Order: sequence, then C-alpha cells, then structure tokens
Amino acid sequence: MIVIKGLVKRYGSLLALDHLDLQVGRGMILGLLGPNGAGKTTLVSVLNGLTGFQQGRIEIFGLPLADNICEIRSRSAYIPQSLALYESLTVLENLQFFSSLLRLSQKRRRRNLDHAIGVNRLEKMLDRRVSLLSGGQKQRLNIGIGLLNDPELLYFDEPTAGIDPELRNDILDSITTLAGGGKTVIYTSHYLPEIEKICDQAAIIHKGKILRQGDLAAMLAHKNRNNAVVELAGKLPELPVVKAVGRACHLERLDDTTLLIEDATADNMAEILRLLERQEIGVRQIRYGAASLESLYLRIIAGDKNV
Amino acid sequence: MFKAMLLKECILVLRDKHALAALFIMPSLFILIMSVALKDTFNESRPLLHYGIVDQDDSTASRQLRGFLSAGTTLVYHDNVPDSPARQHQLLQGKLQLIVTIPSGFAAQLALSSSVSLLRLDVAADIKPEILTVFKARLATDVLRLRLATMEKDLAPFVPDVAERLKELDYSGKGLVNVYYSSAHGNAKPSSTQQSVPSWIVFGMFFVIIPLSTVFINERRQNTLKRMAAMNISIPLLFAGKLIPYVIINQLQMALMVGVGVFVVPLLGAPALTPGHSVVALGMVSLGLSLAAIGTSLLIAVLAATIEQATTVGGLVNILFGAIGGVMVPKFYMPPEMQSFSVVSPMSWGLEGFLDVFLRGLGPGAVLTETLALVFFGMVMLILAGGVLHFQMKRGI
Repeated sequence: MIVIKGLVKRYGSLLALDHLDLQVGRGMILGLLGPNGAGKTTLVSVLNGLTGFQQGRIEIFGLPLADNICEIRSRSAYIPQSLALYESLTVLENLQFFSSLLRLSQKRRRRNLDHAIGVNRLEKMLDRRVSLLSGGQKQRLNIGIGLLNDPELLYFDEPTAGIDPELRNDILDSITTLAGGGKTVIYTSHYLPEIEKICDQAAIIHKGKILRQGDLAAMLAHKNRNNAVVELAGKLPELPVVKAVGRACHLERLDDTTLLIEDATADNMAEILRLLERQEIGVRQIRYGAASLESLYLRIIAGDKNV
Repeated sequence: MFKAMLLKECILVLRDKHALAALFIMPSLFILIMSVALKDTFNESRPLLHYGIVDQDDSTASRQLRGFLSAGTTLVYHDNVPDSPARQHQLLQGKLQLIVTIPSGFAAQLALSSSVSLLRLDVAADIKPEILTVFKARLATDVLRLRLATMEKDLAPFVPDVAERLKELDYSGKGLVNVYYSSAHGNAKPSSTQQSVPSWIVFGMFFVIIPLSTVFINERRQNTLKRMAAMNISIPLLFAGKLIPYVIINQLQMALMVGVGVFVVPLLGAPALTPGHSVVALGMVSLGLSLAAIGTSLLIAVLAATIEQATTVGGLVNILFGAIGGVMVPKFYMPPEMQSFSVVSPMSWGLEGFLDVFLRGLGPGAVLTETLALVFFGMVMLILAGGVLHFQMKRGI
C-alpha cells in the first residue's frame, strides 16, 4: 500500500526526515510513535502531498506520489490533529460542505455521507452548531469528515489528544471497525496503550528516522515480563544508585528522570524505593504491566538498539 | 463544489455579528454622521463670520453704511457693540471675529477723498485670511455704494438719467454672475452627501478585511485549509471561493449605502444623494474596488499570524489608504503636492470613479482608467497572497 525509500525532507538547514524507509501493507493499522519533533506530522504531510520532499521515492497504491497526487488524495483521507471544522456551521453543514468538495456522483456522495454519520453516531447532533459540541463529539465529526470519500487509506494525527477516556475508547473502536472493513490506517499518537490496543504494526520514529518497524505482537513478545516504569520527581544521580539496585533486579535508566525495572516484584520494588528514599529522590509515578510497549519505545529512543 | 464554497463563506459571515456590524452598520453610520456634520460645507448662505459695528459718527452716512452691511446672511452683523477697547477685546476672543469702527467725522471724510482711511477694523487673532479678504471686499463695495449714493444725489439735478441709472444699480451680485460647477451632472450644486457617500462606500468596502481574515486565519489555525488541500482544493480555487462571496457582500454594502444616502440622509436634514445615471459605470467601479479590497485583505490575512494582527494591520492600512486617498479629507482641501501623492492609494482611484458617477454624472468611458487600475492592483495582491500561501503550505506553516 505504501512504500517509502530513502525519504529526505529538509526545512532550510533542519533535517526533518533523514533517509526514512517505511512499508505499510494493505488493511493494516500502523502506529507511528515518536517524541515531539520526531517527524511524524512531517511524514504524514509529505504522504498527503501537503509538503514536498527533497529526496527519495514514495509509492502509494502502487503509484508514485509525485505524479499521482490527485488520484492518491482522492483515495485517502487526512484527519488532522486539530479539529479541522467550521465552528459556526452545524454538523450537517460541515459534512455537506466537505462532501461537496469531493468529485463524487450524487449517489455515492449521499451513501458516503450516511455512512460517515452512522459510523460516528452523529445522527442526533446534525442540526447543532459545532461550537456547541463537546470535544469528543467534535472529534467524531472530524473523523466523519475523513470518511466522506470512503478512503482506502486514512491518516490519523493524534485523534484522541485531549479527549476523555470513555470517548477515546469509542474513537479507537471506530478506527478498529474501519480497519476491519479493509481500510489501511496510519495512526500517530502519544498514548502508547492506544497503539498497543488497535495497531497491528508499530514504527518508532526519532530524529526523522524509523528506528524500528515491525509486527507489534512480535516486538513485544520477548519482553513480555513484569515491567515497571518509575518516573522520578528529580534527576537521578549518576550510576551508584543504579548499580546498587542492579544486584536485586534488572534496572535501566531510560533518561534523567525515568527508570525501567524488569521483573518488578514486590521485594524488588520495595528495595528500589528504599534506595531512592535514601538518596532523597521522590517518585512521581510508577506504571506496571502495560508499560511493555512504553518501555520498548523508551529504550529505543534512549539509544538501546539491542532490545 | 464552488457553490458549496460560496454558501459556506456566506453562512460564516451572516453568523458573525461583529463582521456584519463592521461591513454594514459602521459605514452606514459614517454616511449619516458625516453627511449631517458637513451639510453646511457646500451651503453658500451659511454664516461665515460674525462681526460687530461701533458707530462713533452716528450720521446719516454711517447709518446708511450700517444698513448696507446688515443685508445678507453670510456675514452676520451684530449691533450695539460697546465703545470700549477692553470690552471689544473680550468680544473678539469670544463670539465676534471682527469689529468695524465708524469713526466720528466719517460722513465728512467720505465726501473728501477716496485715498483717506475711513474705517477701523479690529480682528480676532485666529481669523482666516480668506474671510478677512472677503469682508474687506464687502466693506469696500458698501463704501463705494455709499459714495455713489452721494454722487447720485449731487448729479440728480444736472443729469437725472445718470442719477437714475446709478440708483438702479444692483449691489447684491445676485443674477450678476452665473455659477457653473465643473463637470457636475446637470449643473447640480455639489452637496455634502454627494461628497461623503462615495468616500464611505470606498472605506466600508475595504472593511471586508475583518470577516475575511477571521475566517481565513481560523481555517489555517484549525487545519481546515490543510484538510481542503488534502482534498485536492487548489489555491486559485480556494481564493475564488472567497472572492465571489465577498464581491457579492461588497455590492450589497454599496446598495445599502446608496440607499442610506438617497432615503435616510434627507430625513436628518442633509441633502439626498443623487445616484447618477450610469449603472454600468457604477458596477465597473464597484467591482474593481471590490477586487482591490479583497486582494488586499487576503494578502494581509495570509501574512498575519493571528486574527488580532490581521485586524490591527488591516485597520491601519484602511485608515492610511483612506487618509491618503481623500476619503477622510476631500482631495480639494489638500495642498497640490498632497493631491498628487494621493494617487498611490487605491481608495483614491475608487473614490474618483464613484465621484465621476455620483457627482459628475459620467458614464463607463470616464471610469475605465480607474477600474482597470483597481483590477490590476487587486490581481497583483491576489497573486502575491497566493504565492505566500503556497510557500507557507510547502513549508508546513
């Protein structure tokens, strides 16, 4: 579906995408992970033809991007991070406006509109102005607009940012349903549990490069142990603390204020907390279990490529 | 597709109360206020000067002179001015601009020689020189009239026909001179409404910057522009989708303001607007002006990062264009250098076009140059705005 080879994108002297390679298969949900400024939004913008690139080759639907941008756009949809809606218009007016921008037959336009309304449960709010909707309702409309051309390929740029957990699950379910219908999804998010929940594959992007791409289940399989991520209130001093604890269990420092503990049994955790207390380092948060992708992600970003 | 873009822009403007106020209410109020405030500017019988007379001579001749001076409404005569320098000084700082003193012995001096000073004038320090010149001319005419009356009496026994002709002379000037207003339609006398309506139509049309920039910057900020670009909407199509609704809005503005000039202004005591007789010429200027205003607005909207920036810069540009272009101060009040400089403002071209139609009653041929200049200016602004937007989108801004 998407093949990218040696993609280079520069903004002046800033190298935003650095010889990036990526492949996405048909019907797949790919989670694109990376810290702020890693190049996620730039990559999505390049794939939508919203910004150019200096070097490399991109093929989408088997078509070179540069020569087939209109055809590719007509078969894909971009759902931007911010709510790309008109606040003064009603839900139906927004849907009708964006629908009318598409070159579709009247019949297909009507069918797609009904589908977008149905999938996103917008029926009861069609006559309400967008400015009066909740954040979750706006996001559902935002996604609904993306479905108006019945796209084969969807780009979601952090669609659940700022949305409460219940609505977030709703949106994730909608995306899973869409993918079940054979659509290909590129999903960028900071919420790693979301990626674990809905994606088949993950690609970790950092400083414009894909550091790791693969099947999510396989990536997590050999690290599926009782992990914990400890966020510290202050900076961790140099190695002595780590070494002292390291005798009790496997412990790594992911960055100045984050520790990864593997085999985080109650005894090990108690010992670690005692040691931290002695060093007068507060603990802000401990995340158990579901931190498997997060730990992998943090270790890759931290430069550990032997995971 | 295009119809939807038009409809969307229209709905957005109609639901924006501030935009509607800026586009329709503000210019209409300007027209009402300025037409009424300036209604006497072109009135020849309005008072130009208030002056007093001190008659120290109290002779037949001096009383006759006072009688001559008291005729007319533009130079307003005040009698019973006290014969005290201190009091007169006080009056000249207040309600009077000038005091004429007829000294004792005036009647005797009048008969003697024309080269002798007959009257004394005390003037306020801030009197306008042209008013003083007009008053001195009036005084000279009335003194001459008095001398001719004396001569008439002296001549009557010897040459009665000459005396009779002297007696019949008309000193009012009425009927003596016919005034023709340059290029005015049907020699109609210019009025404040005729001057102010075109000015405020031009000014009001440029206020599309407020709704246009608000919508555009929101579209950019909320990524609806990106979304449209990802749906194959090109920049020319995007601009066309904005251009046409705002052209329609501009035409509605013009119709409303002409309507205010014709029907509402007279209710407030100012003269009604005469809308000229060439709809084609009016349409040409109006469309050209609309293109210039929308092009400028789009360029400002594209360059501005926030709505506040766009409305501040847009307002400033409007005021500068208006001040230079003769909207705020009519060009004929400007010194010649300033009048030459005013051609740099597109508002000046639009204003000249509207004055050609409303004031001078001219047709399409007369407004062609102004229209082409406005269209050219508008196209340049649109091309610049499109170029900047293309660059910004490629840079991901």
